[in-house]
Amino acid sequence: MSFDAANLLPILPEIAVLVTASTVLVLDLYLEERNKGLNHSLSLLGLVVALLLTGFVGGGETQILFDGNLVRDAMSDLLKGAILVVSLLAFIYARPWLKDRGMLVGEFYVLGLLAVLGMLIMVSANSFLTLYLGLELQALSLYALVAFERDSKRGAEAAMKYFVLGALGSGMLLYGISMVYGATGSIELGPVAQAIAEQGMSNKVLVFGIVFMVIGIGFKFGAVPFHMWVPDIYEGAPTPAVLILGSAPKIAAFALAVRILIDAMQGLHADWRDMLVILAVLSMGLGNLVAIAQSNIKRMLAYSTISHVGFIFLGLLAGSDQGYAAAMFYSIVYAVMATGAFGILIILSRTGFDAERLEDLKGLNDRDPWYAAMMALVMFSMAGVPPTVGFMAKLLVLEAVVRIDMVWLALVAVFFSIIGAFYYLRVVKYIYFDKPAEDAPVLATTGGVRVAMTFNGLSLLALGMFPAALLTLCQSAFV
Amino acid sequence: MNLLFVVLIPLMGAGLTAWISRFGRLWSAWMAGLVALAALGCLSPSVLAAFGGETLIQRWPWIPELGLELAFRLDGLGLAFTAMVLGIGLLVILYARYYLSERDDMGRFYAFLLLFMGSMLGVVLAENLILLLIFWEMTSLSSFLLISYWRHEEEARNGARMALAVTGFGGLAMLGGFLLLGEMVGSYDLSQILQAGDQVRADPLYTPMLVLILLGAFTKSAQFPFHFWLPHAMAAPTPVSAYLHSATLVKAGIFVLARLFPVLSGTIEWNWLVVGTGLTTLLVGAWFALFQHDLKGLLAYSTISHLGLITLLFGLGTPLAAVAGIFHVLNHATFKASLFMAAGIIDHECGTRDMRRVNGLWRYMPYTATLAMVAAASMAGVPLFNGFLSKEMFFTETASFLAEHPMGWLLTVAVAFAGIMAVAYSLRFSHDVFFNGEPVNLPRKPHEPPFWMKAPVEILVAICLVVGILPALTVAPLLQVAAASLLQEPPPSYDLAIWHGFGLPVVMSGVALIGGLVVYAERRPLFEIADQLKGRLDARAVFDHLLARLYTFARAVTGVLDRGSLQRLILLLLLSAIGLGLAGAIGSGSPLTGERPRMPIDGVTLFIALALALVSGATLLLHRLRLTALIVMGAIGLMVSLLFVKFSAPDLALTQLTVEVVTVVLLLLALYFLPARSPAESPLWRRLRDLGLALAAGGGAGALAWSILTRDYDPISDYFLANSVPGGGGHNVVNVILVDFRGFDTLGEISVLALAGLGIYAMLFKLHLPGPMHNPLGRPWNWDRHPDIMAALARLLLPLALLVSVFIFLRGHNQPGGGFIAGLVTAAALIMQYLTNGVAWTHRRVSSNMHPLIAAGLLVATGTGLASLVLGYPFLTSTFTHVHWPVVGDFELASAMIFDLGVYLVVVGSTLLILVHLGLMHSASHTPAIEAMRGTAWKS
Repeated sequence: MSFDAANLLPILPEIAVLVTASTVLVLDLYLEERNKGLNHSLSLLGLVVALLLTGFVGGGETQILFDGNLVRDAMSDLLKGAILVVSLLAFIYARPWLKDRGMLVGEFYVLGLLAVLGMLIMVSANSFLTLYLGLELQALSLYALVAFERDSKRGAEAAMKYFVLGALGSGMLLYGISMVYGATGSIELGPVAQAIAEQGMSNKVLVFGIVFMVIGIGFKFGAVPFHMWVPDIYEGAPTPAVLILGSAPKIAAFALAVRILIDAMQGLHADWRDMLVILAVLSMGLGNLVAIAQSNIKRMLAYSTISHVGFIFLGLLAGSDQGYAAAMFYSIVYAVMATGAFGILIILSRTGFDAERLEDLKGLNDRDPWYAAMMALVMFSMAGVPPTVGFMAKLLVLEAVVRIDMVWLALVAVFFSIIGAFYYLRVVKYIYFDKPAEDAPVLATTGGVRVAMTFNGLSLLALGMFPAALLTLCQSAFV
Repeated sequence: MNLLFVVLIPLMGAGLTAWISRFGRLWSAWMAGLVALAALGCLSPSVLAAFGGETLIQRWPWIPELGLELAFRLDGLGLAFTAMVLGIGLLVILYARYYLSERDDMGRFYAFLLLFMGSMLGVVLAENLILLLIFWEMTSLSSFLLISYWRHEEEARNGARMALAVTGFGGLAMLGGFLLLGEMVGSYDLSQILQAGDQVRADPLYTPMLVLILLGAFTKSAQFPFHFWLPHAMAAPTPVSAYLHSATLVKAGIFVLARLFPVLSGTIEWNWLVVGTGLTTLLVGAWFALFQHDLKGLLAYSTISHLGLITLLFGLGTPLAAVAGIFHVLNHATFKASLFMAAGIIDHECGTRDMRRVNGLWRYMPYTATLAMVAAASMAGVPLFNGFLSKEMFFTETASFLAEHPMGWLLTVAVAFAGIMAVAYSLRFSHDVFFNGEPVNLPRKPHEPPFWMKAPVEILVAICLVVGILPALTVAPLLQVAAASLLQEPPPSYDLAIWHGFGLPVVMSGVALIGGLVVYAERRPLFEIADQLKGRLDARAVFDHLLARLYTFARAVTGVLDRGSLQRLILLLLLSAIGLGLAGAIGSGSPLTGERPRMPIDGVTLFIALALALVSGATLLLHRLRLTALIVMGAIGLMVSLLFVKFSAPDLALTQLTVEVVTVVLLLLALYFLPARSPAESPLWRRLRDLGLALAAGGGAGALAWSILTRDYDPISDYFLANSVPGGGGHNVVNVILVDFRGFDTLGEISVLALAGLGIYAMLFKLHLPGPMHNPLGRPWNWDRHPDIMAALARLLLPLALLVSVFIFLRGHNQPGGGFIAGLVTAAALIMQYLTNGVAWTHRRVSSNMHPLIAAGLLVATGTGLASLVLGYPFLTSTFTHVHWPVVGDFELASAMIFDLGVYLVVVGSTLLILVHLGLMHSASHTPAIEAMRGTAWKS
C-alpha cells in the first residue's frame, strides 16, 4: 500500500480543479465586493488549465492508478474534456445572472467547481468506492447549489426535495453496491467482472445487486419512474444551478452507467438490458408526452431531458460497442444542447426577472436575431432535425438498436420523437412568429456570453455535418 | 467531384446571397441567379454521361464508423429531377425578382430559396438513404421558412407550421423505414439496395418497412389523408408555390417512390396501399379543386389530384405505368409551374385571387391570358399539349390493369370521373378568370405585367407545346434514360405518338373533355352540394382536433403524475424500487435462500430480537408524545448494545452505550423547542397506505438480508484477527483497526467531527430562540433548575467518571475501550456538570473555549502520522514497545496510543462544543445564570 507519486500525473486535471476550488474558497474571504469578478476569472482559468491538462495527460494506453481505484482511459479522456468544456460554457453564461443579483460570490464557484471535480472523479473511477465518492461529491455540491438563492422559497423546497430523493437514490445505489460486494468479494470493477463471469446468474444476491444499481443509475439520470425529482428541481432551482446540474452531470451519469453496467456487469447484460428497456420506453413516452403540456419552459426542458435519457438508455441496452459509442455521443451532445438552452434562458433573464415561461421567449427574433437563431438551432437539434447533431445522435442510437434486431424499440423511439418534435417547434414558433411583450427591454449581454453562445449553437450544426471526429473518439473508448 | 459541388453551391450561396443583399435588394436576385447557374454549370460535365445511360457515383468519406459516405449518384432519374429543380429554379428566381414588392426582404427570400434548392438537389442526387433523409428533412425545414416568409400573416405562420408538422412526421417515419431497409440489405447505398429487391420483398419485416417509407412519401407528396397541408401552404408567396408546390417539394415523395420502385414494388401490399392512396387522392383533389374560389386553392387541389394520379401509376407496378408516371412528373411540373406563375401575375396585378371577383381579364391582359389558357389546356389533357400525352398513357394503364377482374371497370370509371373534373376545373380557371363578365371591385386596375415577369411563363408554356406536339424529338431521350434508371432495366417499348389509333383511352379522353364541359356548364347545383359538404370533410379540423386531443391527454397525464408533493414522489420511488426488486426476485432462477447451514436460534437472541421489534413498534405508536418516544428510543439503543454483547463485541457495546447517552442529551436539547405533542396530520387511509408501503419495503429489505445471510461469504475479519498483535501490537482488534490499520480513516473522521463541531458553533453563535415557558398542560417549567442534591451528587461523580475514562483509554489497545469511548465518557461527565450545576458555574471552572482542545487533538493525531513519515515509514505507521512499571507491571506502549489521545481530545472538544452551544441557545436554561453574572458585575 505504498504511495507512488507517478499516480498523481494522470489525475492532474482533477488536481487543477481542486486547487482552483480551494483557492477561490480562501481568496473569496479577502475579496472586496467590487472585486468578486476575480472568482469568476479564476474559475474559468482553472477549468481551462484542467482542460489543457486533460489533453496533456490523455491518450495512450489505459492506466490503472491508486491500487485499482482510478483509471485513465480513452473514455475518461473524452468525457473529462466534454465535462470541462460544458462547465466552462455554463460558468460563462451564469456570470451576468449572478452579477445582476449581487450573488457573484465565491460559494457559487466553489460549489460548481467541486461538482465538476466530483464528475471528473466519477468518470475516472475504477472501483465502486471512487465511483460513489465522486457521485456524492457532485450530488452534495448540487444540492447546495439548488438552494443557492437563499431567499427563494421555491429554491429551498426544490433543494429539500432534491436532497431527500437524492439521498434515497444514492442509498439504493449503495445498497446495490453492497450486495454486489457481498456476492463477488470486491469493489474493484475488474475483479467484479471476473467474479460475475465465473458465477453468472446463479447468485440471487447478484441479481438484487444489479436491480438496485440500475435503480440508482436510473435515479441519477432521471429516468422514468425515478424521474420525479427532475421537473420540480428544474423549475424551483435558480437557472444557473439548473444550467450546471442539467448539463454536464448527464455525461457523468453516463460514465456511472458505463462503469457499473459495462465495465463491471457486462456479464449480466441480459438482466439489466430488460430493465433498461422498461426505463427507456417509459422515459421516452412519458417525457415527450408530458413535456407537451408544460407552460414553464424549465419544466418542459426537464421533461425533455427525461425523454433524451430514454434515448441514451437505448444505446446502452444495445449491449454492443456500437451502441455504447452511440449512447456516449448522445450524452455529450445532449449536454451541449442543454447548456445552450439554459444559457438562452439566462440571457433572457434580468434583474428581478427570470425567464421561465414559454411566453418569455416570444419575439426573441425581434429582440436579438442571433440569439434567436442559436436557440432555434438548439431546439431543432433537440427535436432531431438534420443537419443538426441531434439528428445524428438519434440516428446512431436507432441504428444500434436496429442492429440488435429490436426493431420495435426503434419504432417506439421514432414514434415518441415525432410527438417530441411538437413542443420544440412550439418554442421556435414563439421565437420567430410572436411579437415580444410590450415591456420587454433590449437584451443586455456581454461579448463573452455572445461568443460562448455562438460557439455553443454553431457546434451543434458543425457536429451534425461532421460527426466523424467525435464519433471516432467515442468509438475508441469501446474497442 | 462535381456532384458534391452541385449540392454545395446553392447551400453555400444561400449565405452569400443573404449577405450581399445589404448592398441593394436586387443584388441578391442577381446573386441567386448566378448561384443557380453555377450549380447548373457544375452539373454540365456529367450530363452527357448520364444521358448515355451511365450511373455516376461519387463518394467522399464522411462517417466511416457508420459506413456512411457523402455519396452522390447521377443517373437518368436523377438527371430528370435535377433538370427540373435547377431549370424551374432559375425561372422562379427571375420571376420572383419582379414579383416581390419593395417591402419584402429579398436577401432573405433568395437565401431560403437557395437553401431549399440545395436540399432538394441533395435529395435527388443522394446515393445513400441516410443522406437522402437528411436532405429530405432539410427540404421540410427550408420549405417551412419559405412558406412562413410573410410571417406577419397569421395564415402563413399556421400553414408553415402545419406543413412542417406533417412532413416532419413523415420524415421521421421514413427514417424508421430506411433503418429497416438498410438493416435488411446490410447497406444504405442505393446501388446495393436496388439490386436486392427480391431479398427485401421476402423479408418478414417488409410490410412495416413499406408502410413507414410510404408514410414519408405520402406526407411529402400531399397524398390523402395528409393532403390538407398543401392548400394551407398557399399562403406562401406565389414564386414559392410555383417552385415548391408544383415541381420540387411535393415531387420529392414521388421521387422516393420512383427511386425505390424496383425494390419495393411488385407485391400485393404495394399495389393496394399505393393504388388505393393514389386513387383516393386523385378523386378528392379533383373534386375539391373545382369548388375553390381562391385561384391558388384551385391549383393546390389540382396539384393534389395530379400527385394522386402519379402515385396511382407507380402503384400499378407495371414498367409501362412507371414510365407514364415519370413522364407525367415532368409534364405536370411544366404546366403547373406556369399556371402558378400566371396566378401570381393575376394576383400581383389585381390585388386579389378570388375568382368571384377576378373576371373578364381578357380585355386587360390578353397575352397573359393566352399563356395561362394554354397551360390550363395542358392540365386538362387537351390534345397537342404535353399533359395529353401522359394522361393518355395513364388511361391506357388503368384500363388494362384490372381488365380481367370483374369489378375492374370501377377503376376505369373512377379515373374517367377524375378526368372529367380535371377538365371542369381547368375550364373554370380559364373561363371564370378571363371571361365571364367584368371584374368585381378590384383593388387595382389590371394590366399586362413587365416583360421579364412573363418570360418564365412563356418558356414553360413553350415547353408544354413543343413536348405536346413533337414528343419524340424533345422529351423522348430524357424519358428513356430516366425510365431505364427508374426500372433498373431497359424500359419496355412505348409510343409517344399523339395518335395511337382508336381505343378505350381515346374514348376516355373524349368522355373527359365532353363531360368536363357539361359539368362546368352545370356547375351551379354542384357548388351548392359542395357548400353543404364544406367543413365536414375538412382534414385540417381533424388535424387540429387530434392535436387538441394530444394536448388534453398530455395534461391529464401531467395532472395524475406531476403534483409536486414530496410524499408522492417518495411513494412512487419506493413502489418502483419494490416492483423492480420483485421482478428481479421472480425473474432469476436461483432460490432466495442460500445453501449455508442455518445456526440454531438461542433464547437470548430471540429475546433481544423480539424486544427490539416490540420497542420499535412502541416508538412508532408513541411518536407523537415526543418525550416518551425519546425514552423508548433509548431502549432501542440499549437493546442494540445488548445484541453487540451477545455477539462478543464489547467495544461496540460500550460505544453504543456512550453514544446513546450523548444522543439523548442532544435530542432533549432540541426537543425543548418543539411542542411536546405533535398533531396528527395524515388521515387514516394515508396511514394505512404508508403502513402497507412500509411493510412491503421492510419485507423486501428483510428478504434481501435473508438471501445474503444464508449464503457463504468470505469475511475479511480473519486478516485482522491474525495481524492485530503482530502488526499493531494490540489484542483489541477493533481498536487496532481504528488507530492503526485504518488510522487514516480515523484521522479523516475526527477531522469531520471537529469541522461539524465548528460548523454548529458558527451557526449557533449568538442565536437565541424563544423556548416555551410552560409544559403542554400550562404548568411553568420547574424554576429550580439546579437542585442542590443533584448538583452535589453530580460533582461527586465527576472525578469517578474521569477516572473511568482514563482507565478505558489506557486499556483500550488490548481490552475493550479506546480513545473514542473514553472521550465520550469524559464529555458525558462534563455535560452532566453543565446540566446539574448550570453553565455559569461550570464555565467558572472549565474554559468555555473548546477550540484549543480540538486543535490540539487534531495536531497530536496528525503529528503521530507525520512522525512516522519523518522516520522514513509511510504516513501513520505505528510501533510499540513494552515498559515495566513498578506497581502495574508489564505495560505496552504503542505509538498508536498517542494517536488515540488525539482522537480522545477531539471527541471531548467537539461533543462539548456542540452540546453546550445547543444548550446555550434557549433562554430558559441560562438566563438566570447570565442575570446572575450581570448581577455580580452590576453590584461590583
